[in-house]
Amino acid sequence: MLRYPGLVMTAAGLMAASLAHANQNQLDLQQNPDLWATQLGNYQGNRFSQLDQINRDNVQDLRAQWQFSTGVLRGHEGGPLYVGDGRLYIHTPFPNKVFALDLEDEGRIVWSYEPDQDSRVIPVMCCDTVNRGLAYADGRLFLNQADNTVIALDAESGELLWEAENGDHTQGESMTMSPLVVHDKVIVGNSGGEFGVRGHLTAYNVETGEMEWRGYSNGPDDDVLIDPETTTMLGEPIGEADLGVSTWPEGEWERGGGAPWGWVTYDPELDLIYYGTGNPGTWNPEQRTVDGEPADNKWAITVFARDPNTGEAKWVYQKVPFDEWDYDGVNENQLIDVEFEGEQRKGLAIIDRTGFGFLLDRESGELLVAEKFAPETNWADSYDLETGRPNVNEQYSTFRQGVDVNTTDICPTAMGAKNMQPSAYSPETGLLYAGINRICMNYEPFETEYVAGQPYVGATLTMMPAPTQEGDMEGRMGSFIAWDPVAGETVWEVDERFAVWSGALATAGDLAFYGTLEGYLKAVDIETGEELWRFKTPSGIIGNVNTFQHEGKQYIGVLSGVGGWAGIGLAAGLEDPEAGLGAVGAFSALDDYTELGGILTVFALPDA
Amino acid sequence: MLLTRTPRRPGVEALGTLAIMLLAAGVITAQAAGNTEEKATSQSGEGPGNYTVIDGKVDQGTYDGYIAYTRSCLACHGPDGLGSTFAPSLIQAVERRNFGEFSHTIVSGLEIQPGRVMPSFADDEYVLSNVENIYSYMKARSAGDLGRGRPKVIEEERDEKATEPSSEAQE
Repeated sequence: MLRYPGLVMTAAGLMAASLAHANQNQLDLQQNPDLWATQLGNYQGNRFSQLDQINRDNVQDLRAQWQFSTGVLRGHEGGPLYVGDGRLYIHTPFPNKVFALDLEDEGRIVWSYEPDQDSRVIPVMCCDTVNRGLAYADGRLFLNQADNTVIALDAESGELLWEAENGDHTQGESMTMSPLVVHDKVIVGNSGGEFGVRGHLTAYNVETGEMEWRGYSNGPDDDVLIDPETTTMLGEPIGEADLGVSTWPEGEWERGGGAPWGWVTYDPELDLIYYGTGNPGTWNPEQRTVDGEPADNKWAITVFARDPNTGEAKWVYQKVPFDEWDYDGVNENQLIDVEFEGEQRKGLAIIDRTGFGFLLDRESGELLVAEKFAPETNWADSYDLETGRPNVNEQYSTFRQGVDVNTTDICPTAMGAKNMQPSAYSPETGLLYAGINRICMNYEPFETEYVAGQPYVGATLTMMPAPTQEGDMEGRMGSFIAWDPVAGETVWEVDERFAVWSGALATAGDLAFYGTLEGYLKAVDIETGEELWRFKTPSGIIGNVNTFQHEGKQYIGVLSGVGGWAGIGLAAGLEDPEAGLGAVGAFSALDDYTELGGILTVFALPDA
Repeated sequence: MLLTRTPRRPGVEALGTLAIMLLAAGVITAQAAGNTEEKATSQSGEGPGNYTVIDGKVDQGTYDGYIAYTRSCLACHGPDGLGSTFAPSLIQAVERRNFGEFSHTIVSGLEIQPGRVMPSFADDEYVLSNVENIYSYMKARSAGDLGRGRPKVIEEERDEKATEPSSEAQE
């Protein structure tokens, strides 16, 4: 791949620095462009492949080779792993089956595994029984079961090696995120922000399943693994102790959410992991005030940089202090090296739930850029780069408007301008590619009471398509964008009827891929967004598009199977903001386009 | 809670239909039956399936049904009872399920197929105490008397409720 000398140099640098550190097996696999060994393609979360057999010139010939039904209905997030052993490893939503499929025999089942789980976990999963996929290292597969059990399987045989209990579903905890293996640890986070859980990120030993450390998202510094003298915020030590307690009303941090249910990325050179935390407990902001005034509710909606060996927090950045809109901060932190104001910086880019695209320095945690990628975003006008705080627009402040008041036309919706669907980054173009949601909302908080294991939401909301400009697709609820993370600008945008809830892929074949909720897998020109190819899979796509090469043939693999929050919120259609109450179906209903069904589809060029 | 507590207003629509609906539900009270000028688009009184909608506002029980639905059912059955990609619309369900069947499903759950499960809410006191309210809310939605979103409570209901200490806890 001499076309991209910069990339090769980066890879070599990483390898030298990481010999004694990162899980060598996982890192070796990632550096082989034939493989897709971790859900986001590499530790940096780039979802970029150097493969170019399938490219801009021949993608119109791409054909489905075979399909495989998982036998599970409900939303299929995540994607297939390929670690070079001739098999694809896939997973399903609850009951969280795992399959090893023979790539040389059109998906024959080599082995399958199905855990025995208490189905009472299902009602404590807010947004469908999704799972974002397996992790792999050293012949082991790792899975986060819905019921909070972390398991390791022998990849060769499917035999269960160990299991660890990470939480309690009777208290509202569940798991949906994909683990990440770093060193000899598998790192996992819990879900349950709508049930008043206390968020935590935990490392287990890959060999034994023993817990190595746990960092909470709220509470005393000792629990959060913060040292206020050394952990920094925007480049300066935090200073004040126990902000995870004092920024909450009495005891509220114990049900303070901050569930890290999204993606974890890792910089082997700095030896730091990065992830974000979810919403702070109840959606009723009034119940999270201190002396009647907004309080930061730390460390919800916060980017954490932690030492993977000890869990210690190196730096933190709270994207949304005192959330009033359910803007979980869990979106993937893309680790990208950029030139910023004439200097090379180790960057961290986020296409965030809030509608803002952030660029930070991933070494220091300084905020460099915060610009809107979803132009309708109105809850905040801008960010103050010095303080790192949003300039909140009072008109859309659900706290200022008050309890039992319906604050209308807030953009984006609680789903976020982008949710969990991971973006891609091409080092060739320097751009991020992401499916986004163009949806706004009305939000009405109400007083709610905490009962363990019960929903702890305290707000009702209705959603409507974001306003369109001239030239936009009428009533569109999503789009696919190319975003310049340094300039803070959208380079191109393709409108989609529905929110784009699928993970993107960028390749050296000058292509970007994404799936749609109707079930189309699409390939677009990475330079212009022009659609070059599409295929209708049997169900809506909320999974991620992955690519790999086996015996000289490049494949594209994607799970379809509609569901997730998109499948809940969009199934019957959104309201027409002009039509008032009861305008069912005024906008496109997902139900008119797709039905359930988990299917893996594997594509290749016919002559390859 | 009873319709007679609401001020009478002119402009009665489809009163015959209303009377038939009330008869069918077997919930006519003397007050309701005598309240011929009520601008209620719905059937009245308390109990499963009964609700009051006046100018888009609802009785406390139906409102509680909306909140309980939103807390405990929406995550699968979609906003405002409309259904999701994996769980059916309860607006349609109440057209073909009577209250006994509806409550039985909530209490017992359903195993449709592996991974496609309607969980039992037998251990959930909050849901159990709101089954009638949820049914009423769904009936109001099903009849087309109540639209999407969070309804307001009829003021007189709210005033009256506010004087009852037992009803203050709004979960």
